[in-house]
Amino acid sequence: MNSGVLQAINGISFAALLFLLASGFTLSFGLMRVVNMAHGAYYLLGGYIGLSITRYTGSFALGVLGGGLAIIPIGYLIDRHFIRRTGENHLAQVLLTVGIAFVIGDVALKIWGGDNLKVPTPIELRGAIELPGGIIYPTYRFVLILFGILVGLSLWLIYHKTQIGAVVRAGVDDRETVSAIGINIDRLFVLVSAMASFLAGMAGVVGGAFLTLYPGAEWEILIYALVVVIFGGLGSLEGAMIGALIVGLLDAYGRWLLPEFSYFVLFGPMAILLLFRPQGIFGRES
Amino acid sequence: MGSYRIVLGLVALAAALLAPLAVGQFWMTLITQIYIYGLLALSVDLLLGHAGLYSLCHASFFAIAAYTTAILQVRHGVPTLLAAPAGILAGTLLAILYGASVRTRGVYFILITIALGYIIWGAVYRWASFTGGDNGITNVPPPSIGSVTVASQTAYYYFALAVVLLCALGYRILIRSPFGLSLRGIKASESRMRSLGYRTTKHLYVAFVISGAMASLAGVLYVYYNRFINPVAASFQISVEVSLMAIVGGSGTIIGPFLGSGIVLGLRNWVSSFFEFHAAVMGIVFIATILWAPHGIVGFFSRLHARGAKTKTAPP
Repeated sequence: MNSGVLQAINGISFAALLFLLASGFTLSFGLMRVVNMAHGAYYLLGGYIGLSITRYTGSFALGVLGGGLAIIPIGYLIDRHFIRRTGENHLAQVLLTVGIAFVIGDVALKIWGGDNLKVPTPIELRGAIELPGGIIYPTYRFVLILFGILVGLSLWLIYHKTQIGAVVRAGVDDRETVSAIGINIDRLFVLVSAMASFLAGMAGVVGGAFLTLYPGAEWEILIYALVVVIFGGLGSLEGAMIGALIVGLLDAYGRWLLPEFSYFVLFGPMAILLLFRPQGIFGRES
Repeated sequence: MGSYRIVLGLVALAAALLAPLAVGQFWMTLITQIYIYGLLALSVDLLLGHAGLYSLCHASFFAIAAYTTAILQVRHGVPTLLAAPAGILAGTLLAILYGASVRTRGVYFILITIALGYIIWGAVYRWASFTGGDNGITNVPPPSIGSVTVASQTAYYYFALAVVLLCALGYRILIRSPFGLSLRGIKASESRMRSLGYRTTKHLYVAFVISGAMASLAGVLYVYYNRFINPVAASFQISVEVSLMAIVGGSGTIIGPFLGSGIVLGLRNWVSSFFEFHAAVMGIVFIATILWAPHGIVGFFSRLHARGAKTKTAPP
């Protein structure tokens, strides 16, 4: 019973991390029709940069912020000079951004080496909390859940309650009309892609504090993020939230109950969902 | 034009037949590998270049076939004559199952095939008690039929060459058949083909299964060449790399995927001999191909050729 609850918390905290990565991915697709497979590399690079900042300044918060901020210009350049040139050819985008991820991964390997590195967390987050029922759980992952909810809530408010959010939603629906009525859609693209880069970089630092950072982590996390957006529906923010919860929980219970087949527990339901509802739970017919 | 291509083909064939006499062991094994990956790239290109579907799960068929053959041969002592067809059958069965993905199109097809590919990678990697996990399955014996064993590298070179040539021939017949034409029709405009009365999804499904069977054959060739198999064979990176091979060489042609395989494997071998960043170099090849050579080598030369022909016929 207790371990069942424990797995649920594990799953939810992983979901919080996945949401950070998947929300940017899904909005980039929704607005710009871009499938960016370098998103995992942004996560890893942001994590490594945040790690160095944390080591240097001793502040985890600065590391999280810096890891996110550092990815913004990198993401911008990649978007402008590479991805933009593929138009809407999704295969070209996939191959191109996989290539970019290879380059980033190799550069990161050269700088930070091949060992598992853990982002140091502040002393207040290192302990454990005792829950009613005698379950002892690491503080850090609780804080992560709260952080995920905070980010999700702010994104939701921006998306649904502000002027910018309204324009982005309109752009997801019909970008030709949006630019025809005089809105600078290009500036909107830059904004959304900066936000996606920031969230991915930040996720790297946050995730690096409990999953550690190592060469190859970029692909592992990317595939989870992909499954999240497939479950939720490409281009949908709510979908990313629900998708992250589904994937986080499936993964936690899968690893616990069927360790050798945990990938199947994750991908099997997804494949079945895709066959009958390819646009995901919240996605719309294209 | 026709005779020029026949001459070129004959020269290539003669070069392939004589290569083992002219080059050393290293080059011969590299060329064998180029044939095998070229066959895998060709299988991907049946979907990519003819049907317009971007599959990124072909490493799965390749790996399942290779694992099946390896497990049967190594653990159960099943002879090649049964183990090899069983491997192809296993990969093809997986393709029959995964073929359901042709119900989707465009970006959803890409994403579903990535995810389907990860199922197999996860299975061979994590189900260590059966697949050997990270270490994979080692000591696969050379293929033998009755008392004849294809033991030497030279013999295996000719064996692989023969299989690949037969496949290329079958492939040529397939893509020139009405079925091949219908695939290209679907690529050009699926809605028009449907309104002409074609059951397009069924055509794509058949193409997917044939393509999966070819990838399985490549997997069996690979496991006997490599003598061991590990989860890398099932990885997403392999699926991406073979798509790149098809594109670099020239998608929609037969020679293209083999040229692409030669370029990618040759470059990787060459670069890794003096440069430790070989993933970055591969990444740069990906980027450069997509940005500057989306039609590949064959596309480049045929455009050059077309331009030459145009200037020849143009009035002075």
